[in-house]
This record gives sequence, structure tokens and C-alpha cells, in this order.
Amino acid sequence: MSNAVRPSRLAFSLDAYAVALALVLALLVRLNLLPPIKW
Amino acid sequence: MAATSTTEFHSVDNLIGFGRRIAALIPGLLLLAAVGYAGKFIEQSIATYTKARHIPFPNIEYVLRAIVLGLIIANTVGILRIFEAGVGTYEFWLKAGIVLLGSRFLLGDVLHLGGISLLLVAFAITLSLTFMHVLGRAFKLKPKLTSLLAVGSSICGVSAIIAAKPAINADDEDASYAIAAILALGAISLFTFPLIGHSLHLSDKAYGLWAGLAVDNTAEATAAGALYSDAAGKVAVLAKTTRNALIGFIVLGYALYWSSRGQAKTVSNKAAFLWSKFPKFVLGFLLISLLATLGFFTKPQLVSLANLSRWAFLLTFAGVGLRTSFRELGKQGWRPFAVGAIGEVFIALLTLALVYGADRYL
Repeated sequence: MSNAVRPSRLAFSLDAYAVALALVLALLVRLNLLPPIKW
Repeated sequence: MAATSTTEFHSVDNLIGFGRRIAALIPGLLLLAAVGYAGKFIEQSIATYTKARHIPFPNIEYVLRAIVLGLIIANTVGILRIFEAGVGTYEFWLKAGIVLLGSRFLLGDVLHLGGISLLLVAFAITLSLTFMHVLGRAFKLKPKLTSLLAVGSSICGVSAIIAAKPAINADDEDASYAIAAILALGAISLFTFPLIGHSLHLSDKAYGLWAGLAVDNTAEATAAGALYSDAAGKVAVLAKTTRNALIGFIVLGYALYWSSRGQAKTVSNKAAFLWSKFPKFVLGFLLISLLATLGFFTKPQLVSLANLSRWAFLLTFAGVGLRTSFRELGKQGWRPFAVGAIGEVFIALLTLALVYGADRYL
């Protein structure tokens, strides 16, 4: 059992943090808590 | 009481450690922002100058300028250790940018284009994996190095190699050879794909689909698409995201193959394995696209989200240039590179033929 392949927590974190940041930004934009973002 | 104090001590310790890790990212993040913004600033300045004086001058996207500036810095003065951690976050910005890009797609378009991409991806993966293994045998590469190169070139570059390495119990050396070959080929594709696309007069959708299916690394595929046009960049990200979604299945297949030969660890829970390898940003992309489709955001808010995605990609493109060291790539030997290069040309031609065939359904 100890020989089994285990999920990589680090890989999960990077993805999860990136998704979390994007969703928080989307929510802030939706609630008009961020000024209009220009390019 | 003593237990509580110890827990509190560890919490404070963890907090300080976390703060230090974040602080270590700041110099590199500033470098990413400076290089990316310099690319954008140069593009806008040249465009304004040439327009005001009616000088005909081809518009070279900020993407290319940011990448080239990064390449120049990385291959002349080099990246100081203090910047390394922050520069390494470019993949984080790429993933956040892809999730935010979901706001520019209606879910129906995602399902339509994603469905076509999925069919083409499945076909291309089958042929390219087979071809890479034949090539690896012909060039007498180690079987696991061939497996890593096949996964990297048929699915999604460096992420796929990193995901596959522990699963098939490959050597560090094999993984670094495969990563170096994929990165070198990714850098070449950045400059060749837009040229080929323009010379063949490919439509934005067809080119974007081709870049998303053929360029290995997600960052390079996004950049290669954006170098052609904004619309092509969108399609390239969608096609590449579809490809990324399959990573778990391919890595699981290889893990089962090598464990059946007694040369890799057993996979105890296949569902957990698939979930662990599944790129979670794909779910974020779909969620934002669903919210945009349901009218959760107003039009000006959608513009803000699209621009946030552009800013995130700006950091990514600067990182692509800054982390590419030709000296390091040159150290890896010619055989993995040759196998990768021949495989890439095969995959590029195959996917180009597939895209031509699918063009009427796009």
C-alpha cells in the first residue's frame, strides 16, 4: 500500500490557488468592488 | 494548556514561514511585470509613432516583444537567484488568466469548439503516441524517456511530464531531458507557427485550433495563438484546455503499463489518481463561462474580466522568455531533442491536416 502512487498536493495547490484567485477577482468585478480594468 | 501553546507556536511559525515565501516571490513578480509591461509599452509607443507619421509598420504584438525581452535578459545577464521564485509563478498567472478568459466564451461555443477539439485531440494523441514510441526505439532512447517525450509532445508539455514522472517512476535525468526538449521546441514553435499560419492564410479559428492542438506547453500554445490574433489566441486556449483535460487518462495509462511490467508503483485508486492529475483550472474556466452565459456579469464587467485575463497573460509571456535559457537547453544532448523535433513536425503536420478537414465545422 505504501508503494501506491499518491496525488501531488503541490500540483493541486497551484491549480486551486489560481482558480480561487480568478474567482475572487470575478466576484469583486461582479460586485463593482474593483474599478473598471483597462488594457 | 501546553498542547494549546505548542499549537499556537506552530501556527505563528507557519504564518511567518508563509509570509517569507510570499516575500521571496516579490522581486521576481516585479521583474515579470516590468518585462511584460515594457513589451506592451514598446508596442503601443511604436504604433502611436508610426500612425501619427503615417509610416507603414507591421504591428508586432506585445506578446512577442515581452517574450523576446525576457529571452534577451535570461540569455545575457541571466536571472539572479533573488528573482527565480517570482519568475516561476508565470504558470500560476497562466492558469488564473485561462479561468478569467472563460468570461469571453459562451458555454455553447465552449461545448461546440471543445467537442471538435476533443475529437481531433483523441485522434492526434493516438497517432502521435504511437509515432513517438517508434521514433524512440529507432533512436535507441531509454523506454521511459520515450514515454515522457511522448506524453509531453502529445498532451501538454512540461505539466504532463511532471505528472507522469512519479507515476511511471522515471529518472530525474530523463525528466529533465524531456522537459528541455519540449521547452526548446516550444520556443521554436512560437516563431514558426504564426509565420506558417499567415503563409497558409489560415482563419483565426483554424489557426487557433492548430496552435492549441500542436504546441505542447500551455504557455507557448497561448502565446503562439495570441501572436496570430486575439481571436486565434482565444481558440488556442480552448483547444489546449481540452487537451489538458485528458492528461489524467494518458498518465494513468502509462502508470498501469509500467506497473504491469514491475517498473512503477501500483495505482491503488484509479478515480483518485485521475482527479489528482486533472487540471482544476479547466473547471474554473467552465464555471466562469457558465456564469457569463447566464448573464451573471454586465457587459462592462465582462470587458474588465477579459482585461484582467490579458494582464495575467502578460506576466505569463514575460515568464516564458525569462525562463528559457538556450545554454541550459543546449546541454541536454541531441538525441532527445531530435526525437522531440521529428515528433513535433509530425504532430504539427498531422494536426494541420485535421484542422483543414474540420475547418467547415468550426
